[in-house]
Amino acid sequence: MIKVENITKSFEGVPVLKEVTTLFERGKTNLIIGQSGSGKTVLMKCLVGLLESDSGKIMFDNLDFNKMSFADRRIIRKQLGMLFQGGALFDSLTVEENVIFPLNMFSDLSQEEKLDRANFCLQRVNLDNVNHLYPSEISGGMKKRVAIARAIANNPSFLFCDEPNSGLDPRTAIVIDKLISEITQEFNMTTVINTHDMNSVMEIGDKVAFLYKGELWWEGTRFEILDTDNKELNDFVYASELMRTLKK
Amino acid sequence: MILLARLIKESARFALNSVIANKLRTILTLLGITIGIFSIILVFSVLDGLERQVRNSIQALGDNVVYIQKWPWVFEDNFPWWRFVNRPVPQLRELDAIQSRTFSVEAAAFLASTSRTIEHQSNSIENAALVGTTFDYDKVRLVDISEGRFISPTEFGSGRNVVVIGAQIAEAIFPDLDPIGKQVKFFGRKAEVVGVFKKEGTGGFGDSHDNWVLTPISYLNQFVDINSERYNPQIMAKAKPGITNQEMIDDLTGVMRALRRLKPAADDNFALNETSLLSKQMDGVFAIISMAGWIIGGFSILVGGFGIANIMFVSVRERTSIIGIQKALGAKKYFILLQFLFEAIVLSLIGGAVGLLIAFGVTALISSLANMDFNLTLGNILLGLNVSALIGLVSGFVPAWTASRLDPVEAIRSNG
Repeated sequence: MIKVENITKSFEGVPVLKEVTTLFERGKTNLIIGQSGSGKTVLMKCLVGLLESDSGKIMFDNLDFNKMSFADRRIIRKQLGMLFQGGALFDSLTVEENVIFPLNMFSDLSQEEKLDRANFCLQRVNLDNVNHLYPSEISGGMKKRVAIARAIANNPSFLFCDEPNSGLDPRTAIVIDKLISEITQEFNMTTVINTHDMNSVMEIGDKVAFLYKGELWWEGTRFEILDTDNKELNDFVYASELMRTLKK
Repeated sequence: MILLARLIKESARFALNSVIANKLRTILTLLGITIGIFSIILVFSVLDGLERQVRNSIQALGDNVVYIQKWPWVFEDNFPWWRFVNRPVPQLRELDAIQSRTFSVEAAAFLASTSRTIEHQSNSIENAALVGTTFDYDKVRLVDISEGRFISPTEFGSGRNVVVIGAQIAEAIFPDLDPIGKQVKFFGRKAEVVGVFKKEGTGGFGDSHDNWVLTPISYLNQFVDINSERYNPQIMAKAKPGITNQEMIDDLTGVMRALRRLKPAADDNFALNETSLLSKQMDGVFAIISMAGWIIGGFSILVGGFGIANIMFVSVRERTSIIGIQKALGAKKYFILLQFLFEAIVLSLIGGAVGLLIAFGVTALISSLANMDFNLTLGNILLGLNVSALIGLVSGFVPAWTASRLDPVEAIRSNG
């Protein structure tokens, strides 16, 4: 569980996050949505510790991240899995080596144990016989799966995904979304996803947090989002002709 | 410790991959280091070769041998050459006095030489060193005979027409024949070959026996005036065991001054030369050449170092997103630092190794052309590699430090 309390963040005097308070629960897929510039990326970076908030609290399972010592933060960071936009695999490493990378950085496992863990993670994302291929030799969807396998390699308690299905065709995007959702429940992780994609929202949004101009404007489930009368959220959700047609 | 070793291995792998992925850039970057290491190591190899030759020559001349000659080997500043011009040259008769009156001399030999064409039937060699000497020559200088024998005391005494020839002479005029017992011709007269010197290679002072035709001085005296300055007469004196060169020089000075009847206040009218003088002189020359090698090569290496630093900054910039992702996945600062340092050192080492390879080829070529030994030594190889690694370390440190201090947020932001 991640509890966010009154987080504010400014850049050169310009407020980007204003008193954001919310709760991301364990075993659920939590989505942060919003227009470009709404502050969702900054919020995500504050959550993973890449940015420090100006004020407020971020509690990881009731532990205040901002008040932790360096050593304690490192322990928490070991429990964070990260899935970057585009996959961000290392082109010079094979699929297997990419998945092993965070294990090399954080764990004391033997090489054999690391290989076992990498194989387990790759099988879990339904990838077989690709261990020795390079990222350039696999499809975009497979790259995303490898990235997910790498994100869960350290058996994290918290999984952060930045636009996980950007650049994928709608069908593959849904497969990836479902995979993230399944893994979240299976490993009982707290998953936070930063996305623009309404398909993702409607597929896996156990909880949806809508940011508008740095403020938490609305939160609820994917079912509640269709019934809200929040104007800014509706403008965002029904921005496309397709969604407007579907609503009618 | 195991984790550290693993991280070092992992960063080295990232570094190697980057070097391999940018081959053309790598090659261009390495040129400076390659040229620098090539220049330095080539100069050092040639210097080592020359020094070895000089030391061997000095050893062959004998480090406990003093040469009594008209001119000194080493001239001091403001050398009053006009005083030396009128000095007498050593005479053969002075040899007997030296042998009988000195306490420090074990053996002494008189030497006179000229350049002649040596013939055998239709074969001939020009500018061979025709050297006449006395019977103790083989006691003063190291004489190594590969075929036949040395000239006997009787032959020396009677002035018989016998010669010992150098390997180069033997190869030139007896290409497919055993020279022993054959006749060679000079000054229109024939002399019998009784021995062949073992091949020695080119000497630092042109003192190698390879190009020599050695004959008894009394035989040579039939054709030339051995006491004429034209034939470079000299006396070689070797010290007895336990006698220092200085003691022998003092002894020889007293005997020579007495022989030439010099007044107490008069300057010596002879030079007593010893190989250590040459050795010291050559040390100074080698030090200057060595310094020049460092300066020339040093500038190239400096330029190469800037090249590596520049390309490492480019590399850091290009891989900013990778650095960010690595950091986000748990990579520590020293992991990133090591990664880029490895890359810089590997780049520099490759440049150095290529420079060494070229130096190896060039020294081998010079060795074969100059008939001298200029081989690349292990010491020079290690020096080249160490200098390369050091340059890589120094020039790669700032870019690597910059990379390790990158803000992961900025780094990840650059990820498309």
